[in-house]
Amino acid sequence: MNALVEVDNLNLHFPIDGGFFKEKLTLRALTDVSFSVEEDETLAIVGESGSGKTTLGYAISGLLTPTSGRIKFGAALGGHSQDRPVQLVFQDPFSALDPRMMVGDIVAEPLRLQGVSRAERLQQADDVLEQVGLPAESARRYPHEFSGGQRQRIAIARALIAKPKLIVADEPLSALDVSIQSQILNLLNKIKRDRTISYLFISHDLGVVHHLADRVVVLYLGRIMEIASRQDLFATPSHPYTQALLESVPRISRGRRKPGQALKGEIPTPLSPPPGCVFHTRCPRAQEVCRRQVPELLPAPGRPEQLSACHFKD
Amino acid sequence: MSAIDTELAGIPSAPRQTIWQLRRKRFLRNKPAVIALAILLVLSALCVLAYPYSLLMELDPNETNLLMRFRPPSAKHWLGTDSLGRDVLLRLMYGGQVSIAVGVLGTLLTALIGILIGVWAGFLGGKVDAFLMRLTDVVIALPMTPVLIVLGAVDLSKLGLSQALASSPGAVFLRIVIIIALVDWTTIARITRAATIEVRQREYVKAATVSGARHLYNVLVHVLPNITTPITVAATLSVGRIILFESTLSFLGFGIVPPTPSWGNMLTNAQELVISAPALAVYPGLLIFLTVISVNFVGDGIRIAFDPRSEK
Amino acid sequence: MLRYTFFRLVQAAFVLLVMTFLLFMLIGMMPGDPVENMLEGNPALTPELARQMRELYGVGVPLPVRYWHWLTAAFQGDFGFSSLYFRPVLEILGPALLQTLKLMVATIMLSIPLSLLLGAIAALRPGGWMDTVISFFAFASISLPNFWLSLILIIVFAVQLGWLPASGTPLAETPSLGLQIYHSILPVTVLTMFFVGPLLRYVRASMIETMSSDYIRTARAKGLSETTVIVKHALRNALIPMVTVLALGFGMLFSGALVVETIFGILGMGKMIFDAIRYVDFNLALIGLLLATIVTLVSNLLADLAYAWLDPRITLK
Repeated sequence: MNALVEVDNLNLHFPIDGGFFKEKLTLRALTDVSFSVEEDETLAIVGESGSGKTTLGYAISGLLTPTSGRIKFGAALGGHSQDRPVQLVFQDPFSALDPRMMVGDIVAEPLRLQGVSRAERLQQADDVLEQVGLPAESARRYPHEFSGGQRQRIAIARALIAKPKLIVADEPLSALDVSIQSQILNLLNKIKRDRTISYLFISHDLGVVHHLADRVVVLYLGRIMEIASRQDLFATPSHPYTQALLESVPRISRGRRKPGQALKGEIPTPLSPPPGCVFHTRCPRAQEVCRRQVPELLPAPGRPEQLSACHFKD
Repeated sequence: MSAIDTELAGIPSAPRQTIWQLRRKRFLRNKPAVIALAILLVLSALCVLAYPYSLLMELDPNETNLLMRFRPPSAKHWLGTDSLGRDVLLRLMYGGQVSIAVGVLGTLLTALIGILIGVWAGFLGGKVDAFLMRLTDVVIALPMTPVLIVLGAVDLSKLGLSQALASSPGAVFLRIVIIIALVDWTTIARITRAATIEVRQREYVKAATVSGARHLYNVLVHVLPNITTPITVAATLSVGRIILFESTLSFLGFGIVPPTPSWGNMLTNAQELVISAPALAVYPGLLIFLTVISVNFVGDGIRIAFDPRSEK
Repeated sequence: MLRYTFFRLVQAAFVLLVMTFLLFMLIGMMPGDPVENMLEGNPALTPELARQMRELYGVGVPLPVRYWHWLTAAFQGDFGFSSLYFRPVLEILGPALLQTLKLMVATIMLSIPLSLLLGAIAALRPGGWMDTVISFFAFASISLPNFWLSLILIIVFAVQLGWLPASGTPLAETPSLGLQIYHSILPVTVLTMFFVGPLLRYVRASMIETMSSDYIRTARAKGLSETTVIVKHALRNALIPMVTVLALGFGMLFSGALVVETIFGILGMGKMIFDAIRYVDFNLALIGLLLATIVTLVSNLLADLAYAWLDPRITLK
């Protein structure tokens, strides 16, 4: 497999303006994040809210500029940041579509920005709408006439029309009814079968991730805790945080289960993350070393493909 | 595929009531606003008819006739004549043209300045925003009438205009429009900024940005069409405010200068007439009041009709 | 809080400085020769002084330099002479400011209870007939040209009925308080009518909001009488932010005072500024406008600070 996107030591910090007389604070949204997305792969990013998932998605799609580190696109793609072959699908299908534009114009917008003529791009929009399961006549309606699931299809159509290599899907299901969720999930799978495309699937729902992902990145307070294939992660989670996450979704976790590992407490503020391992404040295995030393992301014992950032990993 | 079929079943076969039909219906249900709109239409029609009326009655709004001063209402002069023997009704009609024109043009200019500053501040944020909003605070803090008087007193020939041009009616009219816009843009700027900040964070703007949209594209295609509602409401209300500013300035002698009539300057000398011809002091002010209160009721009606929260 | 106050003070001072420059520039663009204007009215005028003044403020001198000369003189307390009154401008300023403040304070004292009363009545039953009448009154208040209202009141109460004087200034050398009040009835009525509308709309809106809040429901559930609920809980809560609305309305009230003073012949700040600009009294216009700006700036500053003091939820930048 070839790497489509390589994220190399990415840091993304937001300065918080404390006013004229207060010292400036820094929100560390992402710290030392490195991973890659392969071609034709579904990579899931999981974590609680506040873990930096969305920030990571925005950084890869170019909406946010990294404070340091690099996001490289595969050599075959030229690697220009100007024409990243990336499109976004958002969580809230209601604010994702401009209420003043007709659906056809919404879907065709990426082509409009590439300078394709109106007749040509509306033709393509009709085609893509049909591919996502909406009749072509939807193009001449306004977003408010559609349900949440239909809107999410429109948003997916808009992403597809630009023929992206990567779709960053930021919790695309969590705002939908459960019955609609499975339809959109099926649609995403169908698109995957029909063309060569990678998904960066951001989610806090491990059930969905289990259903969809090839590999999983576990994020906590802006740092990667664990990267593993879906099978490894769900069968033999290495990091105590991953184990705790799986613990809270008992149905899909077939691996060893250690009782009493449910997460306690709240995720600390990224304005002042804990020193050492950021997870130590909530970790059942925390020792003195965890408070002092940031653990490196290294292979789990006996599983070279499964990386985990823990001093006491399984 | 059955899942997709059920999806399709949910698509409406015919477009439902558009948002504009809904708004019109809600506006028409608001009786005070409808009455106010009717009054405005009648008043505007009256003012537009000034020229045909002058032909019909063979009157001249500016021709003075000292033998005809302070005449009571008659068949030829329906509202009588003023201190220089001119027809009061005709001058009210012409004055209304000036007042309404200043109100509308002033609002357009105010809105233009306010939208530019508001969108600029709201879309870019950061230091630009901080600076522009401080500027807005400062302008809001100014005592309006004194500042307008100073601006109205500025000698345009000192700005390089020729004496003739500076005192031409066109220049005087434009000057009023411009100076009022220079102090009145703050309301629209603030409202535009708040609305822009809200729209800027919407995800469709992010989607366009990912596809390569620049600031200008986002502002023109996504932001402006989505903030028209609050701007429309604010602009309607500012028509009334600007007509009041104009009439006050003209009354004080720093606005529209006689012989061009305006509802404000027709009252300038009325203070001396309160004993001899009190009716002359009533008409122009009554028309200002009627126009401004109607505009305010219409503005309020638009606000309620456009407000999604007032949906029942 | 201290930090915030300090920051706002520095900011206000900076704004004031910018305003002095803008006003200096604008007033220089009024018709006539500014130097002639600045000289006129100075009893100690000598050809030597005139020559000096021309060097400092003459046509050839660039605007920033002229402004600098004016500013340094102003910091030493020298604001020049009024060409209209033939006296130092500072001597005219004091009594004028006092007159205007009397007018404004009287208006505010009347407007607050009136707006609270009407706003509370309107908010009792939103949409009821009392609310309709009061809302119409509020609309009328913000739509009335105050110069016209002054004329109408003069025609009705002074000319036709003869009950009240048309002039705001008593003729007597040292008028008694009663006489002063008698002459102030019409001007204060006009200003109150002009000021009460926005206040009343504010009180009504904030009362309606509080009346539907949880703690009002709790107070009612506790069995408190409706009057207690409204006066002790709802009205009191509406009062706090009203400080801000009042202070922000200060500039507006000042604008209204200018018109009213001019019509009723009250020798206050407004009429002073108006006359100074009308008869191109350079020094007097400048100091008058500056003072008006200071008054509005200070009231805005107080509004911000009062808001920050009174509402603990506001976090200070």
